[in-house]
Amino acid sequence: MPSTAPSIDSSKPEIDPSQVVDVGVLKELAKRYLVDALNSVNGPKTLVLDPSLAGPLGLVTEVALLKQHGVDKMFWLEPGPLQATTTNIIYLCRPQVQWAKLIAEHVKQHTKESQNHVYTLLVVPRESSVVKRILEDEGVLGDIHISEYNLQFIPLEDDLISLEYDHAFKEIWLDGDETAVYNSAQALLTLQKIYGLFPRIIGKGDHAAKLKNLLKRLQSQSPRQAPGSHTLSEKIDSLFIIDRRVDMVTPLLTQLTYQGLVDELMGMTSGHVELPASLLAAPTAQQTPSASAAASTSAAGRTALTKEKKKKHHLTAANDTLFRDLRDLNFSVVGANLSRHAHRLDSEYQSRHQAKTVPQLKEFVGKLGGLQTETQSLKLHTGLCEIVDPQTKTEVFNKSLEIQQNLLALYDVNAQISAIEDLVAQGVDVAVVLRLLCLASIVAPGIKPKVFENLSREILQTYGYHYLPLLLNLSTLHLLTTQPLSPAAQSLKLPLSALKKSLRLLTEENETDNDISYVYSGYAPLSVRLVQCVAQKGALLAAPAPVGEEAGAVPKAKAPKTRSHPIVGWKGFEDVVASFPGEVFDVVQAPDGGATDSSANAVSVLLPREDTTTTVVFFLGGCTYTEVAALRWMASQMRGRRFLIATTGIIKGSSLIEDLATSL
Amino acid sequence: MKVYSIAILLVPSTGTQSTLLTSATDLSSFSFYQKGTVGEFLTFFSRTVAERTAPGQRQTVQENAYTAHVYNRGGSEQLAGVIITDAEYPVRPAFSLLAKVLEEFTAAVPQASYNPNPGLTPNSIAFAPLQQYIVKYQDPRQADTIMRVQQELDETKIILHKTIEGVLQRGEKLDNLVERSNNLSQQSKMFYKTAKKQNSCCVIA
Repeated sequence: MPSTAPSIDSSKPEIDPSQVVDVGVLKELAKRYLVDALNSVNGPKTLVLDPSLAGPLGLVTEVALLKQHGVDKMFWLEPGPLQATTTNIIYLCRPQVQWAKLIAEHVKQHTKESQNHVYTLLVVPRESSVVKRILEDEGVLGDIHISEYNLQFIPLEDDLISLEYDHAFKEIWLDGDETAVYNSAQALLTLQKIYGLFPRIIGKGDHAAKLKNLLKRLQSQSPRQAPGSHTLSEKIDSLFIIDRRVDMVTPLLTQLTYQGLVDELMGMTSGHVELPASLLAAPTAQQTPSASAAASTSAAGRTALTKEKKKKHHLTAANDTLFRDLRDLNFSVVGANLSRHAHRLDSEYQSRHQAKTVPQLKEFVGKLGGLQTETQSLKLHTGLCEIVDPQTKTEVFNKSLEIQQNLLALYDVNAQISAIEDLVAQGVDVAVVLRLLCLASIVAPGIKPKVFENLSREILQTYGYHYLPLLLNLSTLHLLTTQPLSPAAQSLKLPLSALKKSLRLLTEENETDNDISYVYSGYAPLSVRLVQCVAQKGALLAAPAPVGEEAGAVPKAKAPKTRSHPIVGWKGFEDVVASFPGEVFDVVQAPDGGATDSSANAVSVLLPREDTTTTVVFFLGGCTYTEVAALRWMASQMRGRRFLIATTGIIKGSSLIEDLATSL
Repeated sequence: MKVYSIAILLVPSTGTQSTLLTSATDLSSFSFYQKGTVGEFLTFFSRTVAERTAPGQRQTVQENAYTAHVYNRGGSEQLAGVIITDAEYPVRPAFSLLAKVLEEFTAAVPQASYNPNPGLTPNSIAFAPLQQYIVKYQDPRQADTIMRVQQELDETKIILHKTIEGVLQRGEKLDNLVERSNNLSQQSKMFYKTAKKQNSCCVIA
């Protein structure tokens, strides 16, 4: 396969041994591939970019770097003629029909105008025959030099890496296009090349199993280039693959963590969120009058904020320690946390009055820079909370939450469906309605035919008939089904009642603080419970101590962290995990590239040489910020394990559903 | 704080009377009619304490509102210096001035002109620097290096405090943030909505 990228092993970057797994390596790799791809074209060039790549590229590089490597101007790849001043034009896009057509248009347009350009097309992450075919049909294939920019995992945080595929779920399950599975395998292969072979690969889901098989096959096919590329990893103890299809309930629910809510209500793309510019502006001398204006929490002040010009902000714990503390908390406690931070900052500032000697003053001034940054961050998050908070108090928001929680509890499902009808009658956002409806359909399971007919008609009449394809696609995916269930739907049925008991999916109010279910205020994400079956069995075998009055003599005292146990597969939960749809697998990889299913006698518990191991959890089809928070919470409860969360992309319920509106 | 007089005296070790060699006075704070009396008193005070200070010794003697700082330098010149100040004047600069003045006098004026000089009339040796010093040292903080540094330090601290305040004023009003975050924390509520608790017995599906 022709590639402009250098072979990985000959240019292995340095890994900091003190950090368990350094994901900075991946960013460097992505940057280097891009630079090499750009340098393959000599001279100044115009870069034409697929808008969906803007986010991922922004995480990997800056405009300055592009300019350094000869990029003169940048344009979006969009309809309309392209005015390029340089001879060289580089197109950077995903292998989609629309882009191929646009490129062909440009080339034909330029030929008509007798403009002479050298065209290079970099397909991300690899070439596609579809694109070639279209270019051929348009008669421009000969004019374009096609290559690839192998962009794989991009670090979103130091423990979260993503392929930034916006449509993976739809492509795999609705369109039947398994390119994303192949690309995921390639990306995981790269991880193995950098960090060593995954000693164990565990997972659940039919496509997860396909991914596992593909990964094994690619690994065995890959040439042995350097010693070390075929040895078991010392830092990673296993790879856990979760198939999104296995747990469709979790993404349908409203996320209740701080970052989750920001994503739900304001939308985050590639770690960026659009915020009113005043929240981000550094303070100026004229701050005083506007600060007192911002102090008022009146409706007038708030609408002024929403009308304000928006600016993109990269919300990451990398440069914002306050965000690191807040992002995974249940939103109901964020206010109290913010307040605590504010008071702490205040007393730090007040300490300047105690500074009497010059050295003390010097010390304070030394701290001043950091305090200013923290204050800026506090201002940002206080403002952000003030935007989010009122939206969590609306009737629709709370009604929707009530319906969700009642559905999960299987409490009077009929009444919940009536409540959903009411929401339709109120003209509530269609994504909200459809999420609730799919949830009802999954838990019931199936909606009574007459009710379903009524609802469908009301939805189409209220929101428009252009939603018909979406409803049909949801049915095709059996996310919306009627009773009695068809055989196909039956095979996908989630035995929720049984799972609620065996996996303790629902928890009481006084238990949630000590359990991953805090992310949904009482529901533990099924996907993460599966990870707990393998990586934190203790959490499931014994119910956590309830927090509160019953705790007795030691209120609020955190139990000492237990040492994490080594990964021994599904032991203890084999029945549970086999009880619902999706293939289950657990293979141990041998250093020479072979792999064996871990049967009873193959239990070689691989004791990692490091004190802390990393378990990679890969979500095929996307994961939510709440699932990320739940996994982080798990790691915080154990000594000796942390998680590296990998995903095809960050998803949320509304975008998941809306994405299904069209199909190939 | 004021310096009233600086005087350099010859104090013979034999114990005989001391002789005033040269002096400078600043009697501007006294009325015209008092000046004479005060001047005589200062001379008398200087001679007395000088005679009663052993060679190599330093003393500070207080007489009502007047404080005399004496340094008997001794040596072959048998010189002593006396500064008379008010009670407020800091001690250390006074003595450092005395040492300085005596050094300069020894270097500038030949010993023969006063020791021995049987025909010496009191206060007859011209030594101009004395008058300059008494003027300069009225404000010891300016004249004395160490005191000046200390004063600059204090001023710096005040400026630093003011600058920090200024910088903080420009920044986001923290009080405002504290208040707003308090509001947010009070309005928080848990997200538990379900009417049904897990433990209820009857489930109507």
